[in-house]
Amino acid sequence: MSDSNKTKLELLQGTLDLLVLQTLVTMGPMHGYGIARRIEQIAENELLLNQGTIYAALVRLQQGKWIEAEWGASDNNRKAKYYQITARGRGQLEKETENWLRVSHVVHRILNASKRPA
Amino acid sequence: MKLSIHRIPARVKAVFQPAPLDSDLDEELAYHLEELTKDYIAQGFDADEAARLARIKLGGVAQLRELHRETRGIPWLENVYQDLRYAWRGFNKERGFTVIALLIIAIGIGLNATVFSLVNTVLLRPLPFDHSDRLVWITNGSSTKTNHDMSSSAHLVDTWEGLQQTTQSLDEIEAYNPFSVRQTRRLTDGSKPETILSIDVSHGLLGMLGIKPILGRSFLPEDALRNAPDRVLLSNQLWRRHFNADPQIVGKAVQISGQGVEIIGVLPPADAFTSVFFPAVRVDCFSPIKNDIERHWGNTVSLIGRAKPGASIDQVRADLSRSIVELKKQFPQRNGYDATADWLNEWVSEALKQPLTFLWVAAGFLLAIVSFNLGGLLLARGAARRKEFSVRCALGAGRSRILRQLLTECFGLVAVGSLFGAALAGGLTHFLSQRTGVEIPLLQQVHLDGVSLGFTVVLCLLTVVLCGLLPAWSLARHADLQDALKEDSRGSSGGLNQSRTRGLLVMTEVAFACVLAISAGLMIRSLLNLMQVDLGFRPSQVVAVRLDPPSWPGDVYIQSILDRVRAMPGVERAAVTDCIPVERDRSWGIEALNSDQPDDVRMAGAHVRLISPDLFQAMGTPILEGRDFTTADKKESAPVLIINQTLAHRFWPNGDAVGKQVKTFGENSHFTVIGVVQDTRHGGPELPSGNEMYFGFNQVQDANSWDLMIRTSLPVSTIQADLQKALHEIDPSLPLTEVRSMQSVVDLTLSSRRLLVALVGGFAVIALGLAMLGLYGLISYNVVQQTKEIGIRLALGATAAMVQRKIVLQTLSLAGVGVLIGLVGAVLCSRAMQSLLYGVRSGDALTFLGTAIPLLGLAVIAGFVPARRAAKMDPLVALRGE
Repeated sequence: MSDSNKTKLELLQGTLDLLVLQTLVTMGPMHGYGIARRIEQIAENELLLNQGTIYAALVRLQQGKWIEAEWGASDNNRKAKYYQITARGRGQLEKETENWLRVSHVVHRILNASKRPA
Repeated sequence: MKLSIHRIPARVKAVFQPAPLDSDLDEELAYHLEELTKDYIAQGFDADEAARLARIKLGGVAQLRELHRETRGIPWLENVYQDLRYAWRGFNKERGFTVIALLIIAIGIGLNATVFSLVNTVLLRPLPFDHSDRLVWITNGSSTKTNHDMSSSAHLVDTWEGLQQTTQSLDEIEAYNPFSVRQTRRLTDGSKPETILSIDVSHGLLGMLGIKPILGRSFLPEDALRNAPDRVLLSNQLWRRHFNADPQIVGKAVQISGQGVEIIGVLPPADAFTSVFFPAVRVDCFSPIKNDIERHWGNTVSLIGRAKPGASIDQVRADLSRSIVELKKQFPQRNGYDATADWLNEWVSEALKQPLTFLWVAAGFLLAIVSFNLGGLLLARGAARRKEFSVRCALGAGRSRILRQLLTECFGLVAVGSLFGAALAGGLTHFLSQRTGVEIPLLQQVHLDGVSLGFTVVLCLLTVVLCGLLPAWSLARHADLQDALKEDSRGSSGGLNQSRTRGLLVMTEVAFACVLAISAGLMIRSLLNLMQVDLGFRPSQVVAVRLDPPSWPGDVYIQSILDRVRAMPGVERAAVTDCIPVERDRSWGIEALNSDQPDDVRMAGAHVRLISPDLFQAMGTPILEGRDFTTADKKESAPVLIINQTLAHRFWPNGDAVGKQVKTFGENSHFTVIGVVQDTRHGGPELPSGNEMYFGFNQVQDANSWDLMIRTSLPVSTIQADLQKALHEIDPSLPLTEVRSMQSVVDLTLSSRRLLVALVGGFAVIALGLAMLGLYGLISYNVVQQTKEIGIRLALGATAAMVQRKIVLQTLSLAGVGVLIGLVGAVLCSRAMQSLLYGVRSGDALTFLGTAIPLLGLAVIAGFVPARRAAKMDPLVALRGE
């Protein structure tokens, strides 16, 4: 890894699943490469993402039936696997998003509160 | 998180289809890489650099694949699956080994689980009654366990009632009439008449034992009153057989022996009472004992009591003695009576404790042989695989990985073998429980016992794991793998060690097999001796036909039946008796009038038979002195009797019994002895004869049912058909369903012994087979190990015969040591089983030699086969061979 990567953020455990789901909701059916590129674009290169790891997240979500996959043809007519969020996945995403926001909010509050007396 | 739970089925599935999932991923990754490379090229990198950057961006393909696998599957399960597949491949390659090992495991587990289940049901488990640990058997007089005469163990109704009132250590004392079940009744219910067995029980007995009817009600005190209408409880079998399981049966009336009887209920399918107290008897219905009627018939009730919680058997005995003393004070005029008690479960299992323990030990021996044999097989297989392990170690497989692989193999082997074993045991226990003709209490309740099965499976598993891992363990000790690789090719120390261990195993197997075979031999000889015992009658070619007229039919009726039967073709002799030997017995007091013997000899109890003329000829019992009854001995003529040898000798030792007088059957009945006959074994071949007396059936009219004894060379079925025709005119309502050969009645007394002999004999054969298999396997292995050595010898001029002799001698010495140890073991073992033997001494030389010599002969054969193979070897091939 190059030195510049040191400043990049490491993803917290489990958050990649959330990002993948959100990406599929916004963008519609996509293949693995597309999802990875989209996440990196949104993150504006602040995230340290080993793009291949996205496939572990995809199989995990697929096994839980939160997303489903289908082989199709890419823009340049090459065979690619397209992923699509399911109804169950949408429901779960809503819950998980809310959960994530609440956690990060609470963490944010506590970290700020402990700064004040100093 | 919910996701993890939802994923379980998909993850399990993923374990079993790695290939398609892997190729999917590979394709996706390839596409991803291509796109990334295109991106980098678009950013201005040259093709090579773009490809490099793309690979970095994506991550290492091998790691990604591993991550994907771990995520989608279950890693440990994947390993187990892989190990199992590998094990399967191995076993499939060595089918011979696998089949034999599975067979051995299945036999070991199957037979042992069966025997343990049997022992557990009959000896160890509590009786299938409520509070069975508090039930006592109350016998009249001293509790001699061998006393099979029911009259002397049964009580007067007066004694029973007296004990009920005066004992303090017993909650309840209930009774049944053991004689009632020896008499058949006739069920005439419209369509087809049937001979049935009914037993009289006290109204509270079934309740005390916890037996509840599935339909209707049990007996109540009012059913036992003198004037109560006749009521019966049906056995489940009779209800199904005769009444088509009619659910509306309760309250209906049927005709039993000419009386209208009300059915008040139906008992459950498993008849616990009968299977404990009357094994191998088919009891069809239960009637209440009416004390006031029963009272006049002498010692007719067997008593079972329930001790108060916490009461010891000694307390119960003391309490009973005290009650008896009290009763004797109150009623000094009554005959001598007594009471003592044993725990019911001990009384029931007493006679079977020895034989079943013996069977148990035999099964244990067999299990040991199975274990040793299996151990030997696995050691041999392990030795053959040393090279494979070494190679895998050298290629980087961790020891723990190899151990795990081996363990998986062991578990797989035992699991499959156990399945077969459990099926075998299930079949065998079912078979045993269907043996309705074997006099073993509770046999019908035998079923495959989970604990027994589990125990044997665990034992087998231990053996397999121990012996399966031993080779790997010894491999692990070799620090230098090179050594192991080389050692195998040289066939030196390690191989020898293996074969020494196996030699010990095989020797032990031979010893155990020898003990088993000798024990089985002794048991078989005992059975043969028993089958040749002179019973005092010749049961072969005698057919017994039960006649159960509704009431005393008159001597004309019986005489007319006899006349008709004697005229039938193929009938040599025909006569009637009220008391078929072996099956029925009762005894009365008898007093010799013209005897010089002291009073206690002059007075005795004797078995009673009421017979027609010609019975002795029909049965084949020799008349030693005097004459048989004739048709001239009428009801009005002078009362006469015939006694047996034992009784004649007891009263008149000088041999002049004929013409003397005795007093019996009622206070003032004097009978004159007209003949002396040979003793008969009234309790079957295993029990000695006792005192016996015979009366003419028309002079002493005290029987409800009869057996027509026909001497004929015709088969039972022919006689039965002919009788139907011949007797129909005299009495169309005679059921004639109880037609049996006398031999089958005698055989019943040997039934439990026969079963035991069959089981132990089977064990011995299997044990011998396994021991020989072990011996053969070991010698074959040794021959292969010593190929080079044998080759050198042959090259140096040894003849084939010399090589052969050496190998056979080697086998023989192994077997010889085993047999010697076995002989010593057999001496000890046979001494312990002395009481099971009949007519053969425990150290019987014939049996011992007759087993040991053929065993050594078998060993020679087991060694000869590999020896021949060795001798035929081409020395050049042997020396080059690798």
